[in-house]
Amino acid sequence: MTLGQALFMGLLQGATELFPVSSLGHSVIIPSLFHWQFKQSDPTFVPFLVLLHLGTAGALLVLYRDQWIAIIRGFFTAAVRGRITTPVERLAMLLMTGTIPAAILGVFLESRIKSLFASPFVAAGFLVVNGLLLLGFEQLRRRAERRAALDAKPREEQEESFAQAERISFRAAAVIGACQALAFLPGISRSGVTIGGALVAGLRHQEAARFSFLLATPTILGAGVIEVPQLFSSRVPIGEYLAAALLSGLAAYASARFLLRYFRSGRLDPYGLYCIGAGALSLVLLTFRA
Amino acid sequence: MKSNTLAIGLVVLAVIFVVLGGLYYEGVLQIAVSDPHAAHHTTHAILFTVLAVASLVAANFARERTV
Repeated sequence: MTLGQALFMGLLQGATELFPVSSLGHSVIIPSLFHWQFKQSDPTFVPFLVLLHLGTAGALLVLYRDQWIAIIRGFFTAAVRGRITTPVERLAMLLMTGTIPAAILGVFLESRIKSLFASPFVAAGFLVVNGLLLLGFEQLRRRAERRAALDAKPREEQEESFAQAERISFRAAAVIGACQALAFLPGISRSGVTIGGALVAGLRHQEAARFSFLLATPTILGAGVIEVPQLFSSRVPIGEYLAAALLSGLAAYASARFLLRYFRSGRLDPYGLYCIGAGALSLVLLTFRA
Repeated sequence: MKSNTLAIGLVVLAVIFVVLGGLYYEGVLQIAVSDPHAAHHTTHAILFTVLAVASLVAANFARERTV
């Protein structure tokens, strides 16, 4: 992998990890469309991915640094006391509830599923499915808005009628956490399924995105930290990889800031349409180039 | 849901998770691992340790309080 390719992959990973468009799908499809020949089975490729993920997780930690301090403190306070008394303690326990199913499924299934479906054709197909899922989540939200007689109101007022992340049920948190396993399929977006799941559970869009990003942090960070020993292999071009990770972190930070502002009144529809279009176009291009 | 029976069950579950984590770390257990020849399955061991901690936290939530 050249330096330019590494930086491009870093930018791509950071930008697409938090947008509901599947970073894994893009990182499988785009190198294939460009005919890049780097081998994903190369022993230095895993450390590369590890650093990119650590860059993304680092960006999320910086973005939510104050909340994470409160969440960690809230977790230990509630765990020792055996009772939840504040919204932040509830959020801490919700995040733990959501992270556990993702961790179990990740440890036991991730590498098998990824290796089974790591083809650009499959990724392009699942990108279309991801787009349909996002549009489906928004249809369910619109139905909820109609039921609550909110459909004639301005978007900001509609959003204010829905709940904050701390109000989600523990069962919903566990289901949303387990849904993260769908993102092992290249083309299905982790943030897409978690934001969509949180919308169905009754959160406003911005809160759904916040819950999704908070839920992603321990999962991404954990997956990265576990693989850290692989970074000490002497064949790893650590300087290039660190530059790509830094770019990934910056792109993730900018993406998260953009999305949190966008979801004050925005919906998932544009991303759904993008995924359907990009997936279909990729299928056509891959078919003609094969 | 407060119940001392449930709390004890969760503590027992935590102990089972610790044992499973230890067995994975020592390479005795080879169920659902990506590399069966590896000496240690650290990822699985960490997962079961986390599950043990989560079970203990849940047990603390589940136990009945006297005051």
